[in-house]
Amino acid sequence: MGVLRLDRVSKDYVTQGSSVPALRDVSLEFQPGEFVALVGRSGCGKSTLLNLAGAMDFPTSGTVWLDDVSTSKLNDAALTRVRRDKVGFIFQSFQLLPTLSVIENVELPLMLAGRKGSRALASERLRWVEMEAFAARMPFQLSGGQMQRVAIARALANSPSILLADEPTGNLDTATSQVILALLRRSADEFRTTVLMATHSLEAIGRADIVVSLHDGRVESVNPAEKIVAQG
Amino acid sequence: MAILQLFYRLILRPLTRERLRTALTILAVSLGVAAVLAIELAGRAAAGSFRSSLDTLTGKSNLEVTSAGGIPPEVFGRLAAAPYPLKLHARMEDYGVIAAQVRRTVPIIGVDMISEGGFEPAGNAAQPLSQLNAGDSVWLTSGLGYKRGDRVHVLINDTASDFTVQGVLDNQAGNQAEDALLMDLALASRVLRRGGRLDRILIETPATRPIGEWEVLLRHYLPAGVAIARQGAGSEQNQRMLEAFRWNLSVLSYVSLAVGAFLIYNTISVSVVRRRFEIGILRAVGTLRGAILAAVLGEAGFLGLLGGVAGIVLGRILSEGAVKLVASTVESLYFSSRPAPISLTWETALWGIVIGVGVSLASALGPAWEASRVTPVEAMARGRREHQVRLHRWRSAAVAILLAVVAWIASRQDAVHGKPVYGYLCALLLLAAAALLIPALVSGLAEITAGLIRRVLGVEALLATRGLVGSLRRTSVLVGALSTAIAVLTAVGIMVGSFRETVLVWMDDVLQADLFLSPAVPAGADRHPTLSADLATTLSQLPQVAAVDQLRAYELSYQGLPTAIGGIDARVRGSRRRQSFLSGAPAERVFRELIGNDAVIVSEPFANKHRIHAGDLLKLDLGGKSGSFRVLDIFYDYSGERGLILMDRGTLLRYLPSAEPSNIAVYLKPGAAVDQAQRAIERVIAGRRVTVVRNRTLRRQAIQVFDRTFAITYVLEALAVFVAVTGVGGALLALLLDRRREFGLLRFLGAADRQVRRIILFEAGLLGVLANVVGVVLGFILSLLLIHVINKQSFGWTIQFHWPVTVLLAALFTVYAATVLSALYPARIAIGLVPIEVIHEE
Repeated sequence: MGVLRLDRVSKDYVTQGSSVPALRDVSLEFQPGEFVALVGRSGCGKSTLLNLAGAMDFPTSGTVWLDDVSTSKLNDAALTRVRRDKVGFIFQSFQLLPTLSVIENVELPLMLAGRKGSRALASERLRWVEMEAFAARMPFQLSGGQMQRVAIARALANSPSILLADEPTGNLDTATSQVILALLRRSADEFRTTVLMATHSLEAIGRADIVVSLHDGRVESVNPAEKIVAQG
Repeated sequence: MAILQLFYRLILRPLTRERLRTALTILAVSLGVAAVLAIELAGRAAAGSFRSSLDTLTGKSNLEVTSAGGIPPEVFGRLAAAPYPLKLHARMEDYGVIAAQVRRTVPIIGVDMISEGGFEPAGNAAQPLSQLNAGDSVWLTSGLGYKRGDRVHVLINDTASDFTVQGVLDNQAGNQAEDALLMDLALASRVLRRGGRLDRILIETPATRPIGEWEVLLRHYLPAGVAIARQGAGSEQNQRMLEAFRWNLSVLSYVSLAVGAFLIYNTISVSVVRRRFEIGILRAVGTLRGAILAAVLGEAGFLGLLGGVAGIVLGRILSEGAVKLVASTVESLYFSSRPAPISLTWETALWGIVIGVGVSLASALGPAWEASRVTPVEAMARGRREHQVRLHRWRSAAVAILLAVVAWIASRQDAVHGKPVYGYLCALLLLAAAALLIPALVSGLAEITAGLIRRVLGVEALLATRGLVGSLRRTSVLVGALSTAIAVLTAVGIMVGSFRETVLVWMDDVLQADLFLSPAVPAGADRHPTLSADLATTLSQLPQVAAVDQLRAYELSYQGLPTAIGGIDARVRGSRRRQSFLSGAPAERVFRELIGNDAVIVSEPFANKHRIHAGDLLKLDLGGKSGSFRVLDIFYDYSGERGLILMDRGTLLRYLPSAEPSNIAVYLKPGAAVDQAQRAIERVIAGRRVTVVRNRTLRRQAIQVFDRTFAITYVLEALAVFVAVTGVGGALLALLLDRRREFGLLRFLGAADRQVRRIILFEAGLLGVLANVVGVVLGFILSLLLIHVINKQSFGWTIQFHWPVTVLLAALFTVYAATVLSALYPARIAIGLVPIEVIHEE
């Protein structure tokens, strides 16, 4: 069984009294170490799918299974534990806490989880993203690419089963994007982390194993990345 | 119109979206305005009624003749014989208690009924002259509830008497302060024990000369020791004496407003920070800097206006309670007064709006100026602004030190017209210095303790600390507001606690007698009812009694300020009391020197008020005689603020021959049982209205008066603290909303509800700790200023420093707990944030 499984998942948002469907009857399953690119137009449901996969939201219908645990059956405290232990998030706008230093940002999820030896583990993750030399700096002293590398280190701090990345290269130039995508690829290969990445970028798609195409909240296709890249 | 629309869209509409925070800010301003107005209204009402019933009966008189201890009867004859068409009105004035269902203390006024032609309400038939000065006839004002022909039971001095109500006078104002009891002079002289001496002669002069000329002219007809002044001079003297008290109270009332100013500053700063992006866009599309400045000031003015209007209503409500407290202090320390009705005038209401709007605009000037300087590019980053504050913290600290030096210089300056203006300037500068030091203190402390906090208190405490440092400017403002309130709480707490302790020690020294006798009629700062002249002699013959000390007190005007003069048994005091003198001289020697000499000792407040030193000569007018008295020494005295001059009873009797004492202290023989002695004394005074209290009871009563006197200060402090704590709650909410992305992110990173709650509560806790530390240190310094400068210049007392540890700890803990609790609601909001939404907003 896969590390993440969505079984006939639908999600509706209620806006000003009317229900707006964001995802419709989505069934997907991902294995450890898979690098998945979610593609589709803005508003097609990519972010919603990431939120459901990360136990940040509940489906209106259907079930999300994270390591064989249904998120719908968990209370808020249990969901929080799941997020801490199994999920790492990466955002387009990096989302580092401006008041914490680089090392403290990476250390944060470990500390929230009450892990012992958090500083050493955080240092190790920073070394992995080649940002150890910047450990004492504050976020505003970093470039965009450096901030995203720190964000990746933070997302990997707890050794999560899945890494959810919402347009991680959206704010970066091409060269820097390559570095970030390489890191995500490495995390899937080295840590067997399932990477689920929402993206519009062809370069990003090129790094993925599988491409899931969404349209109006439905899964349009699931293909190997080579095929999509070859089709251009 | 377009400007108004823009103002609505950019300023007012956002305010309505954050109703709670807007309401809390308005509440803070309104409470500040309310405190100021309540004290102003209460002070005016408490002071405004001074002797109003006595003054009502002065008619068209424009001059008055007075003398300490009474005007000799022949003076009236001299004035009557003067070759001018003067109308003279003789007056004897005192207070009595009408003992009906409700005991009421009312002025008793003796008038010459024949020459005045009686007092009758409109519509009543004139009374025959024979009734006007009939043996026991009195006239009452209608507010007392009697009718003609009733018998009225009145307690005067130590005697209860029954009188017949001969008439009822209209009290058109329906004001209790206007109520009085009138009787003929002959009757008044007897029951008031005046021996024919008058208290005042009121003079109506013709308009042929200016009043000043009449004053000079008529002075020639008066013997030495009898003064002539314009009618109402006594009231003016009292008002002048009350100035320092009212001024100090007013200053204290402005503390809440100052705390409110911090909060307005915070609110406007938050608005500016939040709208930097909008402001940048507005600047980019051509909005002038002046328009941005006006818009931000408009927001502050709008909040101030609403706060001012609400403050007027609230102030009027609070003044009802305040007037009771203020009037009680005025009565205890200054003069007999019954509160007049509170009158909220248009001017006062306008003042409320002016200070509400004014303080708001002044507080918003900084943020408004900053907003107007925003460049479109700069508007994109908040972090940079906060970083600037961090970089400037040492510059602020340097300015703080400079302000502290100026404050120290200000504290060394003399009072201005009896008001400690420089003392308060010093306090203001110290508050400003503390506010400027706070950014350096917060960041410094955070840096020093970061490791410790993380290790000991965990990640939540670390995040809370960093959150506070990250929003340094707003954190500093919050700590500033709260620490100002705590500093004032601490300073006034220490001052009052020290004063209380000083008074307790002083009472230990001076209250050595076992039993104290005084007339049952309540005495006041300016009322000295008397006991029978023979009582002291009778008491001294009791087998249990070792010695008796009599005090006879009179009202006296010295250099235009009312005070009291008293005659004491110097021999008894010298051997029995542990009276302390400023010179440190032994009491026995000083009291011995008083005997047989034209010499006095004066109280410390009197000496400070009139700049009197030991060895000076005091020229005093007593009972129609003038005398020069050498000041032997200055004694510590905390019985009143008006001051006291004491001489030996024998010396006083040479000037004022009335032998009745105002009160008597009885010293028992060693081993004599107090109970037994008290019973023996009560047998002696049977039939007279005399109160006998034991030493312990008198001390308890005195300290109760003390506590009542300072009750108003506690109320004002509590108000300031309430404003601060309310503001902290609102400001924390603002801080949270501004950092909601961070809290959303924490949820993404696995933070649980309790962890988010703990972060917010830690932030409030840290704010509370910082504010307490700054507030207590600043409060300690301010307390020294209050004790050694402001009190000394305003009231003239020496107060020994004392830490009221228990009271302070309880107060500080309460404030701390309230601060932390005020964060519960923001914490709830933080927990309720939807992480996906707040991250999506970015």
